[in-house]
Formats: sequence, structure tokens, C-alpha cells
Amino acid sequence: MTVQKDPEGNEARYLRKYADLAGKRVLEIGCGDGRLTWRYALAARRVTGIDLDRDELRIASIERASDLEKTVSLAQADSIHLPFRDQAFDLTILAWTF
Amino acid sequence: MLVAGGTLIDLRPLADRWFVEVLSSGGKQEAGRVTDLPQGLADDAAANGAMAEAERAGLFRRDREELFAFYYSWDSPKEMQEYMDQEWADFCAVDEAEWKQIRSRWAVSDADARVGVRLKMLITRWLKAH
Repeated sequence: MTVQKDPEGNEARYLRKYADLAGKRVLEIGCGDGRLTWRYALAARRVTGIDLDRDELRIASIERASDLEKTVSLAQADSIHLPFRDQAFDLTILAWTF
Repeated sequence: MLVAGGTLIDLRPLADRWFVEVLSSGGKQEAGRVTDLPQGLADDAAANGAMAEAERAGLFRRDREELFAFYYSWDSPKEMQEYMDQEWADFCAVDEAEWKQIRSRWAVSDADARVGVRLKMLITRWLKAH
């Protein structure tokens, strides 16, 4: 099955329009397979992507480019019980999270 | 978790009977619409309610928001139907009359035609209060 998602790149374009990523510590809640993450991570200081779905995180881990290994960390966690200290992030992205 | 004055970006689709379109080198043609199911509408209401509550409690201030289009597309209506059955069955559907119309418009379109769903996306920037 060959599904294409956002071939026009609107999502990343609007994210960059709304979020000043430069030098920011970013938490992405609902990072899934990293589809959006890879499109902005180079602009940030550090990105932590969390998701409940272990299979999606495995894909993200495999697809993480070598130049993002130090910038992007991935973890299985939910948005209710966030395992982070206070003031750990400058920017949070709720990505398709309900 | 967020620093005072930090930014929260809420990025999500809104259920709104998304348009189904046939996409080809010749352009885009509307071919039908999806039907929103109760779970999809309830998800939107829950997300809207949670952020409204955070705003009422003085935790966040809504700074700016905007709608934009996000496309999913497939090589054929059959692939689209399989994907929807697997991934979207809880929150939206296409009824049989719409499928017939979609298949028909795709079949008579250009050789490179794909079929797509145009999602209505909402992006909102919230600022955390001090």
C-alpha cells in the first residue's frame, strides 16, 4: 500500500511558521514514526519524542538519520504521566494528540 | 515541564467531512466526502475542551491559530479503502454511494491519477503563563 502523507509539506511549513525552533529544547508528544520530527529536528537544540506505540517508535528509531542521533531521543510515554523534570522544555508540540 | 513563557503547539486534524479528491497531472477534482463518526467528533470535543480548560485555569493563553490542508493520497480507491478500514475505522467512513462515485471519477481520470483525502488541519500556538 503506497500512502503518501502531506506531499506538499504543509505541516512542517506551518510548524516552522508558528514555532521558533532555534536553540529550543523541544518535546514532541505523539511523535509516532518520526514523520514530522525529521522535518524540523535539525533546527532545534534538542528534541525528545514520545509516543505510546512501541512499534511506531521502533520505526522512528530505525529511520533516525545519523546526524540526528545526538539531537533526537525517543521514549515510550504517555502525555498524562510525563517523566520529565519541571522546566525541561522550551517548546512542546502536541502532534495529532487527542 | 515547560518553562514559564514557553510555547505549546497543538497540531491536529478536525473532523469536518473531509473532501475526497482525484489528483492527477491534470489537476484536482472533488469526488466525494467522508462521513464523520461519533468517535472522531468526540475526540475533537475532548481536545478542544482540555485546552479551553487550561485557558480558563490561566495555565495557557491562546496566541494564534490557523487552518491548513493536509493530504493523504493513494494509488487507487481500493488502496484508500484498505487504509481507511485499517487506520481510520473508528472515526470516519465513506458510504457505498460515495465509493461508487470516487471509483468512477478515478477510473475516467488521467493515467497518473491518484485518490486523496484533504484533511482540515488546525494549528494553534499557546503560550504558558508565568
